[in-house]
Amino acid sequence: MRLTAIPGEWIDRSAEVEFQFEGNTYRGYRGDTISSALWCAEVRMLGRSFKYHRPRGILSLANHDINALMQSGQRLNVRADVEPLAAQQQLTSVNTFGGLQADSGRWLNHLAKFLPVGFYYKAFHTKALFPLWERLFRRLTGLGRLDFATPHLRTPKDYDFCDVLVIGAGATGLNAALAAADAGATVVIVDENARAGGSGAYQRGGKADSYTQINALLNSVVKHPRIRLLTSTVAAAYYADHWIPLVDEQKMTKMRANSVIVATGAFEQPAVFHNNDLPGVMLASAAQRLIYRYAVQPMRCAVVLAANADGYRAALDLAAQGVNVVALIDMRSDHQQAELATAVQACSINIFHAHCILEAEATVDGNGVAAAIICPFDADGNADVASTMRIPCDGIVMSVGWAPTANLLYQAGTRMRFADDVQQFVPEHLPEGVFACGRVNGVYDTVHKLMDGARVGRDAAAHVGYGSVSNAVTIAETESPSHAWPVVAHPKGKNFIDFDEDLQLKDFDNAVQEGFDNIELLKRYTTVGMGPSQGKHSNMNALRILARLTGKSPGQVGTTTARPFFHPVPLSHLAGRGFSPERLTPLHHQHAQLGAVFMPAGVWQRPEYYAQAGLTRTECIRGEVACVRNQVGIIDVGTLGKIEIYGPDAAEFLERVYISRYANLKVGMTRYAIMCDESGVIIDDGVVARLGEQHFYFTTTTSGAAPIYRELTRLNTLWQLDCGLVNLTGAMAAVNLAGPKAAEVLAPLTELDLSLAEFPYMGIREATVAGIPARLMRVGFVGELGYEIHVPAAYADALWQALWQGGQSQGMRAFGVEAQRLLRLEKGHIIIGQDTDGLTTPLQANLNWALKMDKAFFIGQRSLQIVALQALQQRLAGFVLDPGYNGTVPQECHLIIEQGEIAGRITSIAWSPSLQRHIGLAFVRPDLAVENGAIAIRLSDGSMVSAQIYPTPFYDPKNIRQQHPAQEHAA
Amino acid sequence: MNALRKSPLHDVIAKQQPEWGMVNDTPTALQFDQGDGQRSATLGIADLSCLWRHGLKGPRSVDWLETQGIAVPAVNCWAPLADGGLIARLGKTEFMLEDGLTGNTVRHIQNLLADRPDGVYPVLRQDAAFALTGTALQQLLRQTCSFNFITLDAATRPLVLTTMVGVPVTILPQATSDGMLYRLWCDGTYGEYLWRTLLDIAHELDGGAIGLNYLLLEGKSQ
Repeated sequence: MRLTAIPGEWIDRSAEVEFQFEGNTYRGYRGDTISSALWCAEVRMLGRSFKYHRPRGILSLANHDINALMQSGQRLNVRADVEPLAAQQQLTSVNTFGGLQADSGRWLNHLAKFLPVGFYYKAFHTKALFPLWERLFRRLTGLGRLDFATPHLRTPKDYDFCDVLVIGAGATGLNAALAAADAGATVVIVDENARAGGSGAYQRGGKADSYTQINALLNSVVKHPRIRLLTSTVAAAYYADHWIPLVDEQKMTKMRANSVIVATGAFEQPAVFHNNDLPGVMLASAAQRLIYRYAVQPMRCAVVLAANADGYRAALDLAAQGVNVVALIDMRSDHQQAELATAVQACSINIFHAHCILEAEATVDGNGVAAAIICPFDADGNADVASTMRIPCDGIVMSVGWAPTANLLYQAGTRMRFADDVQQFVPEHLPEGVFACGRVNGVYDTVHKLMDGARVGRDAAAHVGYGSVSNAVTIAETESPSHAWPVVAHPKGKNFIDFDEDLQLKDFDNAVQEGFDNIELLKRYTTVGMGPSQGKHSNMNALRILARLTGKSPGQVGTTTARPFFHPVPLSHLAGRGFSPERLTPLHHQHAQLGAVFMPAGVWQRPEYYAQAGLTRTECIRGEVACVRNQVGIIDVGTLGKIEIYGPDAAEFLERVYISRYANLKVGMTRYAIMCDESGVIIDDGVVARLGEQHFYFTTTTSGAAPIYRELTRLNTLWQLDCGLVNLTGAMAAVNLAGPKAAEVLAPLTELDLSLAEFPYMGIREATVAGIPARLMRVGFVGELGYEIHVPAAYADALWQALWQGGQSQGMRAFGVEAQRLLRLEKGHIIIGQDTDGLTTPLQANLNWALKMDKAFFIGQRSLQIVALQALQQRLAGFVLDPGYNGTVPQECHLIIEQGEIAGRITSIAWSPSLQRHIGLAFVRPDLAVENGAIAIRLSDGSMVSAQIYPTPFYDPKNIRQQHPAQEHAA
Repeated sequence: MNALRKSPLHDVIAKQQPEWGMVNDTPTALQFDQGDGQRSATLGIADLSCLWRHGLKGPRSVDWLETQGIAVPAVNCWAPLADGGLIARLGKTEFMLEDGLTGNTVRHIQNLLADRPDGVYPVLRQDAAFALTGTALQQLLRQTCSFNFITLDAATRPLVLTTMVGVPVTILPQATSDGMLYRLWCDGTYGEYLWRTLLDIAHELDGGAIGLNYLLLEGKSQ
C-alpha cells in the first residue's frame, strides 16, 4: 500500500511508470525500485532461493536482496531492491523452472534433508557418477539466461583526484567531509544510494529530528565549494596508495585520493529462527527504507524483533505510518533506552523482554507470514520452546544487530579487533592516510557519529597538509547495538544463516563435526558468504556460530579475507574502453594499398604477405620469395630497434653488452651482434655499425627494441661510462632492398658509389637516396645482395615511392614477414625467440664464431665460461626431408625421437623453393647433429618422419650472392 | 631538400578529407569543415607534426645550449624560444626544441649539432605532435591519462612525461587567451593509434579534429 506523501520520499508521484513482472502489468512511480513498486502492489514473492527454491521477498532493500534478482531482456541479475524502475521494463525472476509461481524447482524444498551441506562435494566422490552430477548441477545452477547476442558495451573509464575521499554520505560521512573541506582540503563524497543522507533519513524513530538534521548537513555539503558529492556511486574496492575504483551506472572512475575516510556504516544482520526467510520477514532498516524512501507500507500488522535501540525506533516508525505493531520482542532482559521503551509502550505496543521469535508461521500458501511464534529466551541463548505464544501478524521486522561495512578497511590492510562492548569488529590499527568513523568504527549514537566524523575529517585533512589533527576523544556506546547470539535453534531447521546459499543452522553443526572448524575451511565447505551478497548478512552470524561450536570468541575465529570487488561490478565496466597500443610504421598505408595482410609482431602491425587476386597465401609468399631470389624485393624493416650511441666510451659499452668485439670495428663497417643475459642465454641480436670513432648505430630485434633500450640505459647508468644512448626506433624508418637487381634500383637514386670496393658487404654509408638523407647498410639477412636503407620517418613515404617507381622496371615486389622468414631459413640465419628459447646459449646455437671469450668482460661471459666446460645437451642443426617427401609435413616444435627418447625439437621448417625440398632447423642431441645423420621426427598423430642433418646455409653456402653488386656482374 | 615530409598522422587524417596546406614541406590539415571552430571551443584535436623539432642530450648539453644563447628551463619545464617555438627540458641533460610556424632555431641548432660538439648528442625527433583545446579537455585527459593535470600551474611552464592510453607521451599545458591549450608529443609510430583513440573519445564529448587554421599558434602556444 502506498502511504500518503512523506517528507524526503524519493518517488515522483507525478510520474507513473508501467512495467511487467512475470507477465503481469504493474505501476509504480519514478524513483521507485522494482522491489518497492512490487511490494506496493502487494506482490510479496519476488524470487526463489538458490538451492531450495523457497519463496523470498524483501530482506534488506539495500543491494543485498540476492533472492530478488531479475532478468530484464538481455540484462542478467538485475538487483530489484535497488534498481530504479524503468518504463515498459519486462522482468522475470531468475532461478525458476516454469516461472516464479509454478516453479517446478520448489519441490527441492521438500528434499532438503537429502541435500546436506557439502553434498555436491560428496556427490563427486564416485567417478562413474561424475558426468551425471555434473549435468544435473549445471542445469540447476546459474542465475539468468545469457543471450550471446548481447552487444559489447564500451563504457568509458576515467581517472579522478581529490585530497580526501569520503566513502559514505550518512551523517558521519557528511560531517567528516565538511570538517575536511573547512580545513582546506578538496573533498569527494561517494554514496551507493541514489540520494545522500544514510540511515538518518530513514531511521527516524517516528519523529522528524534526524531527517531535519541530515537535511541541514546535506545543504551545507552541497553548498561547500570544495566538496563534490557523487551519489549512485559505489566505492567498490581499495587498492594501494588510496586508489579506489568508483562504479556508477555509466562507468568506472579510478579515484586517486590523498587520504580516505571510510564512513561506510554497517549492514543490518538478520536474526536466525525457523522460517526467517518467508516473504514478509525483513530487516528493520528495509521496512524503514520502504516507508521513508518509497512511501510503501511494509506490512499491516507487524511483530518487531529487537535487540537494540534501532528496533525500538523501527517500531515507532511503523506505528507512525499506520502499521499495527502488535508486539516488540526484545531478546535482551534489560537495556539502557528507557525513553524509547516508554515511547513504544505509549503506542500500545506490548514489549516482551528476554523473548525470541521461535518461528515465523507461514500462510497457507507458504508465501507469507501468518504469525510469529515467540518464547522466552535466556541470557545464554536458549529458547524455552515449552512456553510459546502465537501472535498473528503479516510481517516480522528484525533489528538484532549490525556488521561493519569494513570490506574496504580490510582491503586497505587495517588490523581489526573484535570489540565486546559493541559486538563487532572495529579498526585497531589503520594504514597511513586511511580513516574510519561512524558505525564501521563501532560508533552508533547520532551525536557520537557526528563527533567521530568531525574528528576524522580534520585528521584526514591534516594528513594531506590542511589544518591540524584533532584532539583525541574517547567515544563509547552506552549499550551494544548488536546481540551476541541472535540465533534460535529449531528442530525443523529452515532457520537460515545464509540466504544466498540456503544454509541453515544445522549445516554449520555438520560442517564443524566433519572437521571444517576454521573460518576459511568452513566458508569453502559450506559456501557461506560465497554467494552474490558475499556474506554481507551471513558472515557475522556464521562466525558467531563457529565461535560457539568451537568454544572460541568471535575475535579468535576471525574473518575471511576481503577481496576486491566487494560489490558486484558489471563486466562491461571492468573491461571499459579497450586501450591496446599499436605501432604502425610510416609505410603502413603503402603496404595496405599493396594488399598487405597484416600480422601482429609485438605491438607492431607488419605485412605477413601481400595478397594477389586469384592466388593463395602460399602462392603469394612463394612469389615474393622468387622475386627476391631472381629480381629484387623490398621489405619494411622499420620495426627493428634502432639505437645510437655516442661518446668516448661508446665502443667499450658495446664490448660489454655484446658477445663479439667492436672496439676494432672499422668506421664504415658493420658487424653481427648477439646479446646475452647474465646466465649466458641469448636475448637479442642485430647489427652494430660504426659511423665514427665515438659514434655507433645499431639495431635490435623488433620485440627487443623497447626492453633492450631500457636495459642498456640501466647499464649505462650503472657503469657510468662516458657515452650516451639515443633511441631512434620510431624516429627512423627502414627498408631492405634485396635481390640480384637491388643495385640497379638503387644506383639511379643516389650518388653513392655502390661498387664492391667502395661499399663492401657489411659496410655502412651515409648518403642521400632520392634526395633524402639516409644510412645504407650492406647486409644479407635474406641471402641476396641487399641494402638496408634507414631514413628519418617523415621521409619514409617519399623513399618508398622513389624506390618503388625505380624498381618497377626491374620487376620489384614488396615482400612480407613470411617470405623473409623463408629466405633467411634458406640462409640458415636464426630468429631469436624462434630458433632460440629461454635457455639457449651461443654455444648451442652454433654462434661460437661470434663469441669472443678472450674479451675482458661481457654480460654472460662468466656463465658461458662455466657452460663451456660442460657437455652440450643440444645443438642447433639444419635438416632436410627427402626431396620426394609428400606426406604430412612436420611442424615447429615437433619432437625428434631417438630410441624412444626425446632427442630434440624443430624450431623452423618450410618448403624451400631453392632446394625443392623441405628444410628446417632443429635442436638435436650433439651426437645426432652430424652431417647426413638420420633423425626421426614425431608428428602430432604419433607417426614418424625421417629427416637428414644438413649443413647450413642451405642456400648459397659460399655467400657469393651477397657479395657482388649487380653492376659489377654487368661490367 | 625537395623530398616531401609526411606527418605520422597523415594517412589517418586523410580519411577525413580535410583541406590541406603545405607547412614546412609537410601536407597539413588546415581545416576539416565548418565545425572546426565549434569543436575547437569544445574539444579540438589538431596535428602539429609539421613543426620543425629536434632534440639533444649529453653531459654538456646545458652548457652548450647556453653558449648558443638559449635560456635553459628547469627540469620538467619548458621555455619559449626567442623567435617563437619552445624548448622543453625532458630530463637533467635532455632537451627537445620545436619551432613555431615561423622561426629557425631548430634547424640552426640541428646544423650546429652535425659538427658533433663534445658531450652533446643530437636526437632525431620524428614525433606525432598534437594540440588539444577546449572546455572538455580535462574530461578527455581524465579518460586517457592517470596524471592529475589540474594540479599544474601553467604559469610555471610545467612539462609532464607520462603515459596516455598506454603510449609514452610528453605533455605541456599552455595558458592562452582562449583558455588552456595542451601540447602533446609521442613517438610517431604510436601516432595513428593515439589520434584514433583520442578522437573516439572526443566525438563522445562533442569534439573532434580541427585544422591548423583554428590554432593561432603564435598567439596561443607561446
